[in-house]
Amino acid sequence: MLFRLAAALLWAGLCLGVVYPTAAQSTCTLPLAGRVTDHESGEGLAGATVVLLPGQEATQTDSEGHFHFHVCAGTYRVQVHFIGYQPEEAELRVTGAAVRNFALHPEAIRLQGAVVRGSRVEAPTPQASGTLSGQALQSTRGQVLGEALQKIAGVTAIQTGPSVFKPMIHGLHSNRVAIMNNGVRQEGQQWGQEHGPEIDPFVASELTVVKGAAGVRYGSDAVGGVVLVQPRPLRDSAGTGAELNLVGMSNNGLGAASASVEGNLRRLPALSWWVQGSIKQAGNTRTPDYWLANTAFQERNFSAALGWRKERYGLEAFYSQFNSRLGILSAAVVGNQTDLQAAISRGRPATDGQFSYAIDRPYQQLRHDLAKLTGFWKTGNGGRLTATVANQQDFRDEFDVVRGGSTAGRRNLPQLSYLNYTTTADLVWEHPHWGPFSGSVGLSGTYQRNRYAPGSRQFIPFYTNQVGGAFLIERWQQRRLLLEAGLRLDRRDLQTRRLTRTVVDDTLRYGVEQQQFRYWTPAASLGAVYDASTHLSLRADAGLVRRAPAANERLAQGVHNAIYEEGYDVSRPDGAAPLSPETSYNLGLTATLHDNPRLNGELTVYQNHIDGYIYQVVAGSFQTIQGLFPLWRTQQTDAVFRGADLLLTYAPAPRWLLSGRAAVVRARNLTLNDYLVFVPADRFEASLRREWTRQPTARLQRPFAQLSLTAVRRQDRTPGAEYDLQAAPAGYQLFGAEVGATVRLGNVPLELSLAGTNLLNARYREYLNRFRYYAQDQGRNLTLRLRAPLEFGRRSAR
Amino acid sequence: MKKPLFRPFLAALLLAAPLLTTSCKNDDDNPTPDDENELITTVRYTLTPAGGGTPVTVEYKDLDGAGGTAPTIGTLTLAANTTYTGAVTFLDESKSPADNITAEVNEESDEHLVVYVPTPANLLSITRTDRDRNNLEVGLSTRLVTTTAATGTLKINLQHQPGIKNGQPNLGSADAEVTFPVTVR
Repeated sequence: MLFRLAAALLWAGLCLGVVYPTAAQSTCTLPLAGRVTDHESGEGLAGATVVLLPGQEATQTDSEGHFHFHVCAGTYRVQVHFIGYQPEEAELRVTGAAVRNFALHPEAIRLQGAVVRGSRVEAPTPQASGTLSGQALQSTRGQVLGEALQKIAGVTAIQTGPSVFKPMIHGLHSNRVAIMNNGVRQEGQQWGQEHGPEIDPFVASELTVVKGAAGVRYGSDAVGGVVLVQPRPLRDSAGTGAELNLVGMSNNGLGAASASVEGNLRRLPALSWWVQGSIKQAGNTRTPDYWLANTAFQERNFSAALGWRKERYGLEAFYSQFNSRLGILSAAVVGNQTDLQAAISRGRPATDGQFSYAIDRPYQQLRHDLAKLTGFWKTGNGGRLTATVANQQDFRDEFDVVRGGSTAGRRNLPQLSYLNYTTTADLVWEHPHWGPFSGSVGLSGTYQRNRYAPGSRQFIPFYTNQVGGAFLIERWQQRRLLLEAGLRLDRRDLQTRRLTRTVVDDTLRYGVEQQQFRYWTPAASLGAVYDASTHLSLRADAGLVRRAPAANERLAQGVHNAIYEEGYDVSRPDGAAPLSPETSYNLGLTATLHDNPRLNGELTVYQNHIDGYIYQVVAGSFQTIQGLFPLWRTQQTDAVFRGADLLLTYAPAPRWLLSGRAAVVRARNLTLNDYLVFVPADRFEASLRREWTRQPTARLQRPFAQLSLTAVRRQDRTPGAEYDLQAAPAGYQLFGAEVGATVRLGNVPLELSLAGTNLLNARYREYLNRFRYYAQDQGRNLTLRLRAPLEFGRRSAR
Repeated sequence: MKKPLFRPFLAALLLAAPLLTTSCKNDDDNPTPDDENELITTVRYTLTPAGGGTPVTVEYKDLDGAGGTAPTIGTLTLAANTTYTGAVTFLDESKSPADNITAEVNEESDEHLVVYVPTPANLLSITRTDRDRNNLEVGLSTRLVTTTAATGTLKINLQHQPGIKNGQPNLGSADAEVTFPVTVR
């Protein structure tokens, strides 16, 4: 309201100050008039600035987009500017009354990446990326992070039951996907396929996935891509606001609540803060035929930020804590290969189970703390300097079923208990624009210590990982073309201490094996963005990333989830070289159709060739006193991942939107000339959405309804039968629907929605679900979501 | 103008301080050979002839757990046409003194089932003689009967079936599963 008033005053002022005096000074009376409209919608644009050259006479368009001048005969140039649109200019000769209309193009996505006040979103541009924010993000509330990200084409998840989703980008996951939580690389036990990211998605106001290698900017873990979890920026206007989110689900009785309060002091405009907390409690998940016993889970999280921000410098402190307890499907508890085969041939839990919120062994108990301090300093002509220091602690306790002889059971201790401490520091200097050049240089360091608690089982040895590196990214932009080149070099030092056991003369002897691995890991990238027209952008990027093997790939050892895992360096032959770094050569091409009135879309094709790709492979059986186990050994091979993501939206009529998404990945083991296991099956999604417009005074605003269909083909490109416990399951189709609206309750715009997934209660098993051997996936689910933004006190003029 | 600009720089230096201090921390702590919290190292089957005589014992022992040194596996030698009383023992001998796990299995007998599988099936017959509080067999105590002389194997499997035990063997997860060569003569 105030903004409109200010705009009206400004407009009136300009009319008085500019138009009136010209009329007074000029004796010429030839009318030059026109209308400024949006090129796409044809609607008039109010408040656009129209400048007449020579003479610098200016006016603003009225509420319908009309403007007029009185001029003498002659040749003039007319310039039209409007925020959010590309400026236009026209030359015209005025001999009599002249009319010139302007249809402005909405501004294309700026190549420099979005800069949001209060926080800087650093999305590298030449790669394809997808973002969830606003309503798209709202419709994922209540889901865990990895589940929500699957809304982005090309992103899937390795799933372990209904509560653990590990993000997978273009067929790569775990050690090859970097997750940036509020600008800090998430560090913990991210290597494990059954370890979901320890991040509360309620903190995020935006989730972005960079699809494709981004090793220069984010470090060598980003071979497959990057997930950027961006919290709300600190409030930049005086006042106090709050937001309440409530979610309820029918299938598993999930209830979730998240509340946040933010403020900015009128007396100290530089000081802003927010605090946020969320709780979530879910019971057993139901499939069409039975309950999944012991799949209940819960979360308790909070976060807070405090910032001091001036024009030239700023400082921000952030703290978040994530706590979760996740039950593991009891039907997935199997001892050895015989049990595994029995469970697989049964194909379903032994009992039908029932609904319960109780969580028994086996379960995971997780906690992740992140403390971050960041400061920036705009150095005027010297660019901008940003420093960030973050400390993370990750606690992962896995309480397995209590077996005979278990001291853990007697003392109620976890069998596996990992502790990870990580400190990261980054210093980035963005140099000022030097002609067409812009760019940044940075230094980054990581210090990491991984331990397991005394009395718990050694699965991953003690290790200390130190990384120091420098990078340089330079951009050159001229009109429609942007070129980017990047270089990075890291020094990695991994030191491990592994407890060994040997039997000498019928007695058990312990020892400690120490190893050190040091590597230089370079990364390089070249990218281009070309705006072929107002509605078509083309991008290309090529890169090289080298990733050093992680501690688990070298030295994991033990029985875990009915398999015996062994890192390559545990049993490598004497004299053989240890596991060496893998090198990824990647290429991505993206064409984007955007800002069209009807048809928009994006097509990405990519190839990622990885020399020395580190993966786990079944290498026979392994005899223990618990029986025979399938032996999974880490190996190296050459692999190639190719694929395409397609996104299309079409508006057949105003307020109707038809969308389609498709993602295909092909992954080959080049050494064995075979397929790779656990690669996403071809996936297609289609939806039809209808929105209605309502009178601004109506109580119900922005109602919408949406129907969707997800179709997943059977994965028939799988390696030999010995590489998987069971053949890939059949393809499936799932129907979904969502309705929602904003209801005005006093001053509060209450957003309500009801969504249904798997509406036909289809029986299906997802190939990427690691529990597909034991049970079906989730049946029908209805989700009710409510979001209430609140504003306290009087709003002040900005 | 220079003075206020200098302060954030100092702040940046301060920001880097925690890193420097943590990096210098001593990382020389070693993993301690604390008690491995769930290890069965030994399965022992003791058979006493019903008519009296010297008991026969067979043992599977893997002191260092999965991997490392190979286990030692004994051979069961039995007399033909004889009835034996059997008792199975599960031990963790990596600890000193050794931990007797049989007692725990007995305490939670309604969650455990010991399964005996002779191969070929007519090599010998084994009957479980003990029952849990739900009147389901447990298998810590057995009666073994041999007939004619033969050779084969005997698999002994301690199956953990919390909440799902119904007398069937192919449920739950194996706490131990060992196979002995058998000679009846």
